[in-house]
Amino acid sequence: MYIRFWGVRGSIATPLTNVELEVKIETAVKLGIKAGITGDSQVPDFLESLPLHIRRTVGGDTACVEIQAGGKILILDAGTGLRRLGLDLIKRSGGNPIEAHILMTHTHWDHISGIPFFVPAFSSENNLTFYSPFPGLKERLARQQNSEYFPAPLSPTFRFVRLNEHKQFQIGDVKIDIFPLNHPGGSYSYRITYGNKTIIYATDSEYKELSTNSVKPFTDFFHGTDMLIFDAQYTMLENVEKEDWGHSNVFTGIDMAIEAKVKKLVFIHHEPGYNDEKLYTILLKAKEYVDINHPKVPLELLLAYEGLCMTL
Amino acid sequence: MKIEENILNDVSSIKLEGRFDANTSDAVEKFIREKIEKGCSQFVLNMENVSFISSAGLRVVIIIARELRNEHQGDLHIAVLQPSVKRVFEISGLNNILKIFDDEQTATEAFSK
Repeated sequence: MYIRFWGVRGSIATPLTNVELEVKIETAVKLGIKAGITGDSQVPDFLESLPLHIRRTVGGDTACVEIQAGGKILILDAGTGLRRLGLDLIKRSGGNPIEAHILMTHTHWDHISGIPFFVPAFSSENNLTFYSPFPGLKERLARQQNSEYFPAPLSPTFRFVRLNEHKQFQIGDVKIDIFPLNHPGGSYSYRITYGNKTIIYATDSEYKELSTNSVKPFTDFFHGTDMLIFDAQYTMLENVEKEDWGHSNVFTGIDMAIEAKVKKLVFIHHEPGYNDEKLYTILLKAKEYVDINHPKVPLELLLAYEGLCMTL
Repeated sequence: MKIEENILNDVSSIKLEGRFDANTSDAVEKFIREKIEKGCSQFVLNMENVSFISSAGLRVVIIIARELRNEHQGDLHIAVLQPSVKRVFEISGLNNILKIFDDEQTATEAFSK
């Protein structure tokens, strides 16, 4: 299975500001002077040596993740990251019809606002299907494109499949299980299995009761997965302050992942108020938490950023 | 987990022993909530013999301290953290919102200042 992250921000799209960009450039230049850079040939190694929050941005587009498995293209959520994925799909297709399967966790704005800008939907030759356990998904998405809010209606190209949340379904040879999460208005997690590999997408969920028994239904669903993509929007403290906002934090994710024997834990749905430095600091603290509390557990931690891709 | 209580000058000093995690956090929360219901609002949590704290333990500490401050004009003081637990308090940010003391006596006396 191949996975690529197109949108990793939660709540609202968050472009890098000019001030943030200037700070990155200024810091890089100062570090370059300190490192004694004198020639172009030194630049690649120097860039590689820079702290991640200086040479990279996690990105500002909202939730959208692509999975390729068994010859199928699965898209998890349709936040603003969907726009660039759509352009890439057209480029990749070489003019041939595009087939894509869009699995929706829920219909909050940060998970649907890329749909009006998904260019493959402008061609009726493409085969684009939405999946969700929610009733009336088509009507929900159509309301987003009422003329009061957007100049064009929802594309008639889209097909809609309502899922039974208690039943596994298949897209080609890819098996998909569904599990409800704790989020205002509801949200669903997807466990995607192809061959002997699994990826779980579990964003927009809050875990207020953390006893072993309380989290067991979730850790059972997450059990043994190769990759768990986990909502870690807040810090531990902010998570308690923002009770019932429906999100989680890295420490809770780590403990649940370890209980569930997860191999890779990817943090996603980043808080719009957190800049790159803060997000990478949170990742470092998360790694230290694992080192302190679970030094012998081989859990790999990753911070999702736009363009992160890998093959499992 | 072993939980023991001593009361001195209206301060409930609770001494924990063992791992403060998803298997034990409910018991600690329940124990303290019962004391709150009986009218106690000033607590010292002595963690000298706690060698491990997980997110479940951290969450109980935060919500109890917040409830005591917001609803009971009280507080939860932390006393005697082992180095690894102290570091978990630091990386989770709890050291920024809680009063942490090196010994139980100072943590208890701090309520009368």
